[in-house]
Amino acid sequence: MIGALLARAIRMATVADASEKTDETVTLRFEGGRLKQVGWAQERGVNLRILAEGRLGVAGSTGDELEPLLEGALASARSGEPAELVLPAPAPLPSVITHYVGAASATVATLTDLGRGLADRLMLDDCQVNLTVERSLGIVRVANTRGIEAAYEVSGVSVWAQLVKVVDDQVIVIEDQLAGADLPELADLERMVSGIQRRLKWAGRTADAPDGRRPVCFSPRAAQSLLLPVQLACIGKTALQGSSPLANRLDQHRFDTAFSLVDDPLLNGRSGSRPMDDEGVPSRRFPLVEGGTVRGFIYDAETATRAGVTPTGHARRTTFGKPQPAYTNLVVGAGALDHSQLLALIDDGLLVDELHGVGHGNAISGAFAYPVALAYRVVNGEIVGRVNATQVAGNAYDLLDRIKGLGREVRWHGSHAAPHIVVDGVAVVGG
Amino acid sequence: MKQQLSDALRASRADYTEIRLERSWSSTVALRGRRIEGAQTAFDCGGFVRCLNRGCGWGAATFTGFDDLSAMVARAHELSLAVRLEQPIRLAEIPLRQDDVREDLDGDARGIPLDQKVALLVGLNNEMLAVDRRIVETQAAYRDEVTEWWYGNSDGILLHELRPEITLSAVAVAREGDIIERGLESLGLRRGWLSVHGREGMFRQAAERAVDLLKAPRAPGGRYPVVLDPRLAGVFIHESIGHLSEADFLAENPAARTLMKLGRRVGPDDLNVGDDGSASGRRGTLPYDDEGTPTRNTTLIQNGVVVGRLHNRETAARAGEPPTGNARALSFRYPPIVRLTNTYIANGRGSFDDLIRDIKLGIYACDATGGRSHLEDFSLTSGYAHMIRNGKVAEMVKPVTLAGKLFETLERIERIGGDFRWNEMGGGCGKNGQVPLAVSEGAPHVRLSEILVGGDAR
Repeated sequence: MIGALLARAIRMATVADASEKTDETVTLRFEGGRLKQVGWAQERGVNLRILAEGRLGVAGSTGDELEPLLEGALASARSGEPAELVLPAPAPLPSVITHYVGAASATVATLTDLGRGLADRLMLDDCQVNLTVERSLGIVRVANTRGIEAAYEVSGVSVWAQLVKVVDDQVIVIEDQLAGADLPELADLERMVSGIQRRLKWAGRTADAPDGRRPVCFSPRAAQSLLLPVQLACIGKTALQGSSPLANRLDQHRFDTAFSLVDDPLLNGRSGSRPMDDEGVPSRRFPLVEGGTVRGFIYDAETATRAGVTPTGHARRTTFGKPQPAYTNLVVGAGALDHSQLLALIDDGLLVDELHGVGHGNAISGAFAYPVALAYRVVNGEIVGRVNATQVAGNAYDLLDRIKGLGREVRWHGSHAAPHIVVDGVAVVGG
Repeated sequence: MKQQLSDALRASRADYTEIRLERSWSSTVALRGRRIEGAQTAFDCGGFVRCLNRGCGWGAATFTGFDDLSAMVARAHELSLAVRLEQPIRLAEIPLRQDDVREDLDGDARGIPLDQKVALLVGLNNEMLAVDRRIVETQAAYRDEVTEWWYGNSDGILLHELRPEITLSAVAVAREGDIIERGLESLGLRRGWLSVHGREGMFRQAAERAVDLLKAPRAPGGRYPVVLDPRLAGVFIHESIGHLSEADFLAENPAARTLMKLGRRVGPDDLNVGDDGSASGRRGTLPYDDEGTPTRNTTLIQNGVVVGRLHNRETAARAGEPPTGNARALSFRYPPIVRLTNTYIANGRGSFDDLIRDIKLGIYACDATGGRSHLEDFSLTSGYAHMIRNGKVAEMVKPVTLAGKLFETLERIERIGGDFRWNEMGGGCGKNGQVPLAVSEGAPHVRLSEILVGGDAR
C-alpha cells in the first residue's frame, strides 16, 4: 500500500516517506490464578509525511482509502512551519534477530500452558496471582521517495506477573515482567518466580525507615528514577530547545566514571531491537554516556536536519503524528558486585525495589521526590524489613556522580536493562 | 452501519455477543517555542467484539477497519470456548434500549480548517511567550476529536452516539542560570470548537507560574498540616477512594474487599464522596457506558461511611448490586473495564479562610501534575504550593509530592470547605494500559491534619 501511496504523494510533494505497521496480538489474562479472558487484536495503520512547498505535513489513518490520507497530509503541510528535511538514502541494513519461529508458531494452548505453569508456581495461600501473557507478530514497512523500500518482521512475547497480599490494612504488591522477541526460557521463568518469592519473604517483616541522607541501593526497576532524567536530556530535540541540562556537555565528564549508558537496537531478541528505524536509517549501537562522559544525543531525520547532524537511527512513528526521536534498548553498564556485596556498602539505608510516580513532575531537571512502593531497610548489609510511608528524594545527575557500586548482573524490564545501583546521599523521609 | 451490526449479532453462535464500532476524526496542533511542531489530522476506525459462552470465559477480538464483522464474531466465539471457568460469569440485567444520542457538538470541530486551529493556538502560545524574558521554552497543544460510536448486543441493545472532545494544554519553561521550572495548565471538555475561545488567561497563568517558581524554595520534607485546593483534592479522591471503589479489583480479592466493606467508617461525618457519569456537561459524562448501561450518580461514601462501589455488569452480578454504568473502554482497541467518570467530594462548610485560620505552619498544595495510587498507597504531585504561616498563605514553594496510606489519610481529614468546584483539566486517567481516559474530578478545599511531604530531608 505505501508504494502506491508514495507514487501518488510525489506528484504534489518534493519528498515523501511513509511507514506501515501491521500487528496481530494474542493476550491471555489470568486473574486469581485462572485464565479469565483471551483477546485477539489486529491492527494496521499507515503514516504519511510529505514536504510540499517547503513545509512538512503528516497524516495517519487506519482506514483503507488513500485519498483522505493525501489530502490530510497536504492540509497539514499548508499549516506547517517552513522546514527542511533530508531523508535517508537506501543503505545496507545490519543483521539482528527480531522474529522467532517459536514465538510465531505458539498457539493459544501453548501460551495458556505457559501462564498456567507460572500461576501454579506462584500460587501461595492468601495471595492473589494475576498474570498477563501476550504474543505479538508484526511487519514494519518503511519507504521513501529516495528509494528506500524495506521491511522486517517482528515477534514479541511478554509475561507480566503480579502478587497481591493483604495484611490488615496494608496491601503488598509485587510485580515482575519478562519481555523479548521469543518465548521465555525456563530459566528466565524460574528466576522470575524465585525473585518474586524472595521479595515477598523480605516484605513479611516491617521496619522503621531511616531518616536523613542515606546510602540507597536502587533495584534495576527503581533505577529508572535516576536514569529517566539522563534519557530525557540525551534526546537531541530537548537539547535543540535548550531545555536539556546536558545540552552543552557533549564529550564532557558529567557522571561517575562507573556510569555508562548505551542504546542498542542490535541485540538479538530484545523488545526494542530492529535493523532500521521507522525512517529507514540503519540501526547501530549508540553510546549516550561512556565512563561518565556524555557521548551522544539521539535524532530523527527532522530534528537532525535542524541540528545539522546526521540522523542517529532513532525515529519512531506510530500511525498518528509525526516521527519522534525515541530509544530502542537502553542498557546501563554492569559493575562487579554480587547482591550481598552491594548491600554491604550500606551501613544504614534502603534497598528500593519499586517507586511510585516515576516521571511525575519536572523529571528532566534531575530533581525527584518519589514515595516508595516497595523498599526494605538495610542495616549493616542485612535486610531487616519492609518500610512504609517513605519517600526518597535527590537529584539524579548528582547521585549518578556518586555511585558506590554497581551489580554485576543487568536485569531487563521491557526494553530497559540495568544492574542494581548503590548511590550515596539520597534524602530519605520516613513514616 | 446499524444493519451490519445487527446482522453480525444475529449470525453469532455464542450465548452472548456484543459489538462496539467506532469511527473517529481528530486533529492535533503542537507548538514548541515559536515553532509549529506539527498540525495534522487523523482518521481511525475499528471495532471490538466480545463473546461469552456458558461455562466459558470472555473471548475478544479487536480490529481496525470494519471489513468482516462476522469473521471477527466467529473468532471471539472460538476464543471464548478456549477459556473454561468453574465459576460461571454472569451479567447483571440492564434496560434494553435502542437509542440515538447526539451530544451538543458546540461547533463541530470537523468543519473547521486546520489552519484556523493553528492560528488559535499560535495566539495562545504568544501569550505565554510575552510574559517574561525568562520563559525559554513553551509547549502548547490543541486536540479535538469527534467519535461516532455504535454499540449493540445480543440481548437487544442498539445504541448510536456522536461524542465530541476537545483539549488545550500549556507548558511554560522558565530558566534562570541552572534553575529550570515549569508551569502547566490544561483544559479538557466534552465539547467542541466554540468552547476553546477566550482562554488567553490560562496560558498566561502557566508562564507566570513557571517564572514564580524560579525563586521559590523547596519546602523542607516532613509532616505538615496540608490544605488541598479543589483541583488537588479532586485528584486525591479520584486516586484514592475512586480507584479503590472499582469493583473489578475488589471482586477478585476477598481480603481487599474488607478494606472497602460496606458500612465501614473511613472518614469524618461530613465526608461525602461519589462518582457521577451523568453529571451535566462534565468531561467524564456520557449517556451510556461501553456495555450499554445508562450512567448515573453513585454515592461511594456517605457521612464518612462506605456505602457503594463502581461496577460493570459482571462485577455487579457477582456482588448482587445494580450496575453503575462504569464499564468504559479507551477506544475500540480495548475491552470495557471498571473506570471512574466524574469523581467528587461533596461540599462541606466554610470558606478557604476558615480552613487555614488556625494553621501556624502548614502547606497549601495547589493544582495536580500527577497522581497515582497503588491500592492503599497513593502519591500526588502538586503543580505548585505555598507555605501557610500563622493562618495566612505565605511564600510560594516548589511543587510538593504528598504520599501516604489511604485510610490513615482519610482519618486525618479535618475540614471540608464549602467552595466546591469541578475540575476542567485535560490529561486523563490510566488503568491496565488504557490511558488517557477522559475523566473529571471535583471538590472543595480540604484540610488534612498531617501528611508526609517529600523534599530535602530535614
